[in-house]
Amino acid sequence: MPTIEIIKKDLEKLLGKKLALEELAEKAMPFTKAEVETAEGDKLKIGIKDTNRPDLLSVEGIARELKGFYGIELGLPRFKVRKSDVKVSVDPKLKNIRPKGAYAIAKGIKVTEHLLEQMIQLQEKICETFGRKRKEIAIGLFDYDKVNGNLHYYAADTDTKFVPLDFNEKLSLKEILKVHPKGMEYGHLLEGHSKYPLLVDSEQEVLSMPPIINSEYSGKVTPKTTNIFIDVTGFNQELINIALDIVCAALHDRGASIESVTVEYKGEKIITPILGSHKIEVPLALIENIFGEKVNADSMKKFAEMKRMNCKIKQQSIEAEYPSYRADILHAVDIVEDLLIAADYNKLRPEHVHIVTKGSELEERLLVNVVREACIGLGLQEVLTFTLSSKERQQKNMLLPEMEFVELENPISSEYCIFRRSLLPELLAVLSKNKHRAYPQHIFEAGKIVLLKKSPDGKAYVDEKQVLAIALADQKANFNEIKAYFDALCNAMGWHYKMERAEHVSFEKGLCASIKLDEKRGIIGEISKKVLENFGLSMPVAVLEIEL
Amino acid sequence: MNSLEDIAKALSEIEVKALEVLKDFAELNEQEIAEKASMPLDSARRALAWLGEKGLVELQKKQVERNALTEKGLEALEKGLPEEKLISALRKLGGKARFDALLKGSGLSKEEFHAALGMTRRYNLIVINEKKELELTGLEKEFFEKCLAKEILRKVQEGVQIDEQSFEFADLRKRGLIEKRKKILMSAKINENGLKALEIAKSIGKREYNLAVAVEPIFMGKKQPYARFLDEVRTKLVALGFKEMKSPLIVEEFYNFDALFQPQNHPARDWASTFRLKNPKYGRLPSARIVSAVKAAHESGAGVESKGWGYEWSADLARQLMPAAHGTAHSARQLIEGVEIPGKYFAIARCYRPDAIDKTHLMEFNQLEGIIVADLSFRHLLGMLKEFAEEIASAKQVRFAPDYYPFTEPSVELSAKHPELGWIEFGGAGLFRPEVVRPLGIKCNVLAWGLGIDRLAMFKLGIDDMRELFSTDLEWMRKHEIVRL
Repeated sequence: MPTIEIIKKDLEKLLGKKLALEELAEKAMPFTKAEVETAEGDKLKIGIKDTNRPDLLSVEGIARELKGFYGIELGLPRFKVRKSDVKVSVDPKLKNIRPKGAYAIAKGIKVTEHLLEQMIQLQEKICETFGRKRKEIAIGLFDYDKVNGNLHYYAADTDTKFVPLDFNEKLSLKEILKVHPKGMEYGHLLEGHSKYPLLVDSEQEVLSMPPIINSEYSGKVTPKTTNIFIDVTGFNQELINIALDIVCAALHDRGASIESVTVEYKGEKIITPILGSHKIEVPLALIENIFGEKVNADSMKKFAEMKRMNCKIKQQSIEAEYPSYRADILHAVDIVEDLLIAADYNKLRPEHVHIVTKGSELEERLLVNVVREACIGLGLQEVLTFTLSSKERQQKNMLLPEMEFVELENPISSEYCIFRRSLLPELLAVLSKNKHRAYPQHIFEAGKIVLLKKSPDGKAYVDEKQVLAIALADQKANFNEIKAYFDALCNAMGWHYKMERAEHVSFEKGLCASIKLDEKRGIIGEISKKVLENFGLSMPVAVLEIEL
Repeated sequence: MNSLEDIAKALSEIEVKALEVLKDFAELNEQEIAEKASMPLDSARRALAWLGEKGLVELQKKQVERNALTEKGLEALEKGLPEEKLISALRKLGGKARFDALLKGSGLSKEEFHAALGMTRRYNLIVINEKKELELTGLEKEFFEKCLAKEILRKVQEGVQIDEQSFEFADLRKRGLIEKRKKILMSAKINENGLKALEIAKSIGKREYNLAVAVEPIFMGKKQPYARFLDEVRTKLVALGFKEMKSPLIVEEFYNFDALFQPQNHPARDWASTFRLKNPKYGRLPSARIVSAVKAAHESGAGVESKGWGYEWSADLARQLMPAAHGTAHSARQLIEGVEIPGKYFAIARCYRPDAIDKTHLMEFNQLEGIIVADLSFRHLLGMLKEFAEEIASAKQVRFAPDYYPFTEPSVELSAKHPELGWIEFGGAGLFRPEVVRPLGIKCNVLAWGLGIDRLAMFKLGIDDMRELFSTDLEWMRKHEIVRL
């Protein structure tokens, strides 16, 4: 869940209303699907649950939504956009590199340190989550007073040079990817291309190299800046329009006047930002199906307006008009949820589920549970271990030869990088951890092991099996003792097994046997001295493991 | 009147001991009982008095003759026999002395002195040398170490039986250290009731034990506490009419994400957010009909009145195997494999996330997951959640908050009030989106919920570190009290 930091006083200023922290946390924030994670004085850390609501990733967006909650402003938020003459021509050669752009100008804004922090936060959070780490969306803000005439967004030679942000010498685009911190972080987004995207003005002065870095000259917004140029690039025009709308809406709410820019593609012109609205028809039947009762269209209209939508009541439906930056509205149910939130979940009457159905556990669960019951009857202590393990434990310590495991591609610890093939090493590890506890230690686990199998056509597949393993550790633990336990268990379970002498590297020679139980296989015997040593155990250990 | 059993149960330790010796003899007196049961005479007397009163023995006073120490005898026991006094006096005088000097030095009466001297000479402890002096021979030390006379005195004093045939006994009597006295002693015979009472008392045996003594510990067979907790939750859900779903550890991304309408470029599908398998890499997709319906929902929302996500969906990505990241993957599979309508399903699923292990995170954890397939509303979902909070967490108060999941709309978060910890976030729920259920061929609503069962287990088991749920510390498991839901 993305989090943003805001200042409570700032939120109050935007709302024109004093807020009690408790009410804000318990009532107001849930209205925006957000939660106050921490509050230190005036500084609030807000978690934004809905990753499809990038418009809420700023204090301005939250304030806009909360105006509906407090009744300060209802219905669709209105944004004034003036048309400018500025054009950005887009090079068709960017097609496979980063083909789309959206631009706007925000004028007459008083940039403060705080506003700057908020804008940077908004820009970063949108790019990080909604923009998939700049892959889909990269945003740049510029000091518009340093930008001349019309702009050109094109696929530039990698030798082209400019001074990137936070540097004082010119670097080629190729060098930037190698030496600039942002180049190193985001360079992979341009991998495999022989030309890189570049945004320049009519004087050929570089504004930025999307999605990597702005220029030191104009790509730096400071408290002295009053006019801002906004550049958003990506692959999907709809997504970058949403991102641009959100940044413009935030600046608009801070008092900037927004001017649009014409984006010229080959054979097509569009004007950004959009800052418009979409309409969706929501059948009353759907609302009633989800609310679970007859609803009144007028109250639905009131709820829609609280959630910053306009609403028209029709015969069998309502028509909701919502801001074009609402990326989360895919289906009419998304509007129904907003209506429910405005109605307040805690004011809805919970309904008892009266449907009578027959409950049951899985067949395999019933078997495992009977086996567990029998083991407990034998006085064994159940243990619960992780299914992820290490090769060291599963293979090396057991003296087994190199073998294939079902293995994680991206483990974060060598201790948990494969799935266990056997429960025995896990039980030995448990005994090893309990060396200083009182003996006898008689333990068992019934759980899953995960085997890597090959089908006749050579394809690898995963085979998960339920197994039971028992380990007896005490002075007199030996083959006969574990066999006595197994006999008792078989007696209780009605199992008729066949046992044959077997050799196994993990077991003492001559003190190991294989078990056959219909189709199921198992092993029983005394763990070898060497294996015990590997687990740091000095007490004899007799074990068995069998498929269930 | 107390029953014999009550009487037997209330017998004191000395009474049981007295009965125990009496049962092997026709008759014993108090002195004999004290001796055979190794208890002080006093205790034997008290025991007999009580047993007599309870009707467990027949008592009879009997006159017996017994040996006793005279005043001289008592003095000899305390301060030494005359012969000892004589010898130590002689030692003080330098090992030899004249007759008169020794008589004076010994402090004995003339009579005692003669008796003592006769005795020491008989045993060759003192000789008369050429100068007519009395002189020590050096044998005295060994003699007094084994001195029978002193032992006889001690035994008489203690009332223990002695061999009256010995020379020393006769000598001591002759010298007036021991005399015969007549005495009335209590004599007892055990009766039928006494035998029965003894049997009962022995079968209870409690009088034999010191309750405070530490006994050998027994390690009983027990379920692992967390496993036991999960068993109880399962039982509860079955009682509420839920059928358990299969919950494999490893699933195709299709079930974990795609069938749940999570776009393939969703941040939750990131490398850092979920595990992937290196080997094997790919699994299998369900029927082509389902796959193409899911593909259409993602790409354009076709067939589900949705905008879709607007990207090109890849079957190869969906085929990739991964350790299940959430239990909802199993709900998706159940919907595909077939459900009864109405139907209720649940799973307690082992799930995996690449989180560094700490107090509140595990790489492997459990989720309680469930769906209700029926034309029920959001308010029914709230009702179900409230019921769970009450049934499983014993919560008195619940609270709902709007939430977000890519696969449910509307979505809700459930919190329950814990008496000490305050509001605890307890799980998430919602109605599966039309883009989830329609492509799977389900025409009615699906209420879905997932509860953080680990967190609930922690406060039920009194644990504040999530790692302890999987604790393998035998000491902890052995001492852990069984906790009921």
